[in-house]
Amino acid sequence: MANRTDPLAKSIRGTNPQNLVEKILRTKIYQHTYWKEQCFGLTAETLVDKAMELDHLGGTHGGTRKPTPFMCLVMKMLQIQPDKEIVVEFIKNPEYKYVRALGAFYLRLTGTDIDVYRYLEPLYNDYRKLRFKPNDGKFTLTHVDEFIDELLTKDYSCDIALPRLKKRLTLESVGSLEPRRSALEDDFEEEEEKDEDDLLADGLDSEEKDKDYNRVRSPARERDRDRKRDSHRYRDRDYDRDRDYDRDRDYDRDRDYDRDRDYDRDRDYDRDRGRGRDRDRDRDRHRLRDDKEYGRDRERRRRRSHSRSRSRSREHKDRDGDDRRRRHRSSASPKRDEPKKKKEKKAKKDDGTDHPDPEIAEQNRLRASLGLKPLKL
Amino acid sequence: MGLELSIAKKKEEERELSMIEVVLNDRLGKKVRVKCNDDDTIGDLKKLVAAQTGTRADKIRIQKWYTIYKDHITLKDYEIHDGMGLELYYN
Repeated sequence: MANRTDPLAKSIRGTNPQNLVEKILRTKIYQHTYWKEQCFGLTAETLVDKAMELDHLGGTHGGTRKPTPFMCLVMKMLQIQPDKEIVVEFIKNPEYKYVRALGAFYLRLTGTDIDVYRYLEPLYNDYRKLRFKPNDGKFTLTHVDEFIDELLTKDYSCDIALPRLKKRLTLESVGSLEPRRSALEDDFEEEEEKDEDDLLADGLDSEEKDKDYNRVRSPARERDRDRKRDSHRYRDRDYDRDRDYDRDRDYDRDRDYDRDRDYDRDRDYDRDRGRGRDRDRDRDRHRLRDDKEYGRDRERRRRRSHSRSRSRSREHKDRDGDDRRRRHRSSASPKRDEPKKKKEKKAKKDDGTDHPDPEIAEQNRLRASLGLKPLKL
Repeated sequence: MGLELSIAKKKEEERELSMIEVVLNDRLGKKVRVKCNDDDTIGDLKKLVAAQTGTRADKIRIQKWYTIYKDHITLKDYEIHDGMGLELYYN
């Protein structure tokens, strides 16, 4: 008798509200001691007291899948079906975050799409931490806004399959909802304005820096072409940098990557020819350095002041090797690309998805999609 | 030196991993044969079963009589051999 839904309760999504929870989970909850002791004869008011005592969220945990008190209270709410005002009060109350989470979860299960978006989206601004108990039983940390995001975007949460929610865009296009206004929108606008001002106000450096981060190859390559040269060309570097900068800016505006790169490559080639010896020496030494190091080196170098020629040329050499590797990857020397391509291809075949036996190949494909290693034969 | 090497080699052979095929039966008519590695964990096996049956991986429980198999232990450690039958239950 205690497990019957309130006879005055409306049916949700065409069925007894308690059926929103799956049969197995429902049975588990009915057999749980928390349900039997604490949730017997609860009403909406006494439910609030129980909800205030909650201290973690979760679905089921452990080998036998025991439900959490949070689950039991959700079940109770489904059983007694409190009014919408009460649920909204649960959500709006600012002090008890677990009461909020409980209300939000219940609304997600039972409310209409519009209500769900309307009442749950303001909760995106709540950054408080929540304790969550996943299936393995070890507590993890989550936040209220993360939880709400999960409710609004995923279709499974706390071991309950959430009912289908219409996409926000659909509702907006129909006109039932207004387009989403983020609480951070004002902050974003300020940020954008600030960025624009910075670009105009600051000198060459910051702009080049930005360009490096945004567009990987051409500005870096142009600048590095200079570094290859010997010390006496330092003068030239400044000269080139200015020239490059101007050209860069124009090219940036046009967003003409290819043209830029081709132009550089031609220029590189002409200048490279004279520096054959340097190239050979550097190529082998620095082939394996990765881009991250390269970037870091560049930063460090930029910060350093004008140093003696010998140290600088050494630096130049270091940078050259990396740069060379990057440059070659594009096309300057086709021979370099092939061994790398071969390596990539080989990695793919290790997956086992090309096994002659189709059954095994399919199994391996499935395993690869799940993130498992291929079958050992 | 020679003795140690031979012991090490033996250990390696024992740890040799192979592919096994496990049969899972839920008594309601669902019988699933799954090919997997020795060193896959039960959790991985559940994912494979889920892919084949269409249930969610975390809804599946694999048992042998009253022993519920834990997710993080490998099949080899549970001594699950080729062709062995396991019971499939749902959470």
